[in-house]
Amino acid sequence: MRLFRKKDGSIVQLIDKKKMMDWPVELPLIFIEYIRNNKLEKYNDKKVEQEINNYLDEVLEEVAIPRLIKVLKGENNEEIVDALNRIEKIATENLDMARPIKPYLEDLMNNTNKQVKTLSDKILELFRKEERRKELNKRRKQMKEKEDLFLAGKISAEEYATARKKYLEFRDNR
Amino acid sequence: MAKKENSTKYDMDATKKLLNEMLNKESKKLNADLPEDTIKIDDLVRKQALERLYNLVDQLIEEIYATGKPVIELPSRSNSNIIWDEKSDLLLLGKQIQKKQFHTLTSVADITRLMRVMEIINELLQKNIHATKREIFYTDVKLFNDQKNSDKSIEDVSTMLYTTRNSTHIVASARGSCVGRLRIRDRNDIIDLEGLGSGGWGISPMLDDIEIIESDAEFILVVEKDAAMMRLAEARFWRQYPCIILTSQGVGNVAVRMFLKRLRNELKLPVFSLVDSDPYGHYIHSVYMRGSKRLSYESPFLATPDIKLLGVLTRDLDKYNVPDDCRLPMSKRDIKRTEELLKEDYVKKNPEWEKDLKLALKYKKKAEIQALSSHGFEFLTEKYLPEKLTTGDWI
Repeated sequence: MRLFRKKDGSIVQLIDKKKMMDWPVELPLIFIEYIRNNKLEKYNDKKVEQEINNYLDEVLEEVAIPRLIKVLKGENNEEIVDALNRIEKIATENLDMARPIKPYLEDLMNNTNKQVKTLSDKILELFRKEERRKELNKRRKQMKEKEDLFLAGKISAEEYATARKKYLEFRDNR
Repeated sequence: MAKKENSTKYDMDATKKLLNEMLNKESKKLNADLPEDTIKIDDLVRKQALERLYNLVDQLIEEIYATGKPVIELPSRSNSNIIWDEKSDLLLLGKQIQKKQFHTLTSVADITRLMRVMEIINELLQKNIHATKREIFYTDVKLFNDQKNSDKSIEDVSTMLYTTRNSTHIVASARGSCVGRLRIRDRNDIIDLEGLGSGGWGISPMLDDIEIIESDAEFILVVEKDAAMMRLAEARFWRQYPCIILTSQGVGNVAVRMFLKRLRNELKLPVFSLVDSDPYGHYIHSVYMRGSKRLSYESPFLATPDIKLLGVLTRDLDKYNVPDDCRLPMSKRDIKRTEELLKEDYVKKNPEWEKDLKLALKYKKKAEIQALSSHGFEFLTEKYLPEKLTTGDWI
């Protein structure tokens, strides 16, 4: 067990990550979600919360993701579909947790199984949406700067109108 | 009285000290330091158990071809072969060997039963399923005739294979329960033992499917009785005093003892027992502590040698003013049992335990855990246990 000591002298113990190597493929992720969603706040100790968060990141990087990748790179479509369903749930709740898997999802778009392809595309769409949201934020910021420049008389009405048109086109077509 | 004490803050100082000592200690490896004159038993995974079974059958076949009169050799489980090892504080099986002949009229039924049990174990291991001892009896009622016979054959096969009964996938029926600050994995499910109501989690005899995944407990409390368990569960005792509570309703069965041992070894937490103040309660504590004579070959996997007897001690009856009408007279049988306990080496080596049993003989009185409720239903959870855990008043 991994031992964490709180300031008040009490303790928290979590299973060692080595033991998770033999778990069913989706279980390390379920474990991470379970501790983060149900236990972390209840420990009532910021230091321990941070230490456990770091430990759970280690579990994610060293156990959960490599095991999922192994399944995604394999040839058993049934296992791949199970793993993708789990990844979709995780990605919907926290896209960053699924980010290391993205390149493997792109590879799966060449898989001949329709269900594998559809599920992979569904998860990739979450990444695409996130990228567009980031791009829109960037352009909104740029537009605000143009507005300030226009109000200060530093750019012409024509230049402002062109920038505004481009921005609206991007926003409405994303 | 309990209400009056509600405002008292118990910091569990003594328990915390013990916890820190245990967390800082290196865990001892099972079997590592057992004496040379005792047999070594292994806990096996399915594949290993199958291998051992096939090796045994191969040896028998070879002997049949070579001599025509095969003999099975297995460690004797008679009283004379049961050794108390002071160092490990366990009851262990010595190296005396018992021989069972295939070709005598007296042993034919015994040998047939043994072979049948080996066949059943092979099936269970092959299919990766478990069965209870009762189910084994019902697989061949005519052959076994009485469950005592099938139980004996099951234990014989376990010792022949030098492994635990659980490794053969023959398990005890579920009897114990557990609640408190513990999260486990049962195959693909995560189970929170704080959120299962007052009944708690029924301790699964299929412990190979169970894994401890998280706990913020600081001690483990084993209670003899369901009524005491109910009181603790209703008070949500573990919320104020972070603990895991187990009960087996009497003498701990294999699953409960094995689960307790695993909790103790993996979490390195202090373990306390709360039993009736009578010889049977002390016996229950001793079984958790050093194993039973019948299953002495499995002791290293079942016993929790550092379990502390928290109560109810004979000296507690005066200390906590348990009224006379709540103290029951000891029967002749109780007196005999207490005297027998006093003769046990492991009691003789523990002066405090010996003193408490002698006090019981002097008073000739016993009391149940429930006698404490003469001071109010909350007395157990709000005064008795917290005070003892704070002061370190245990044996």
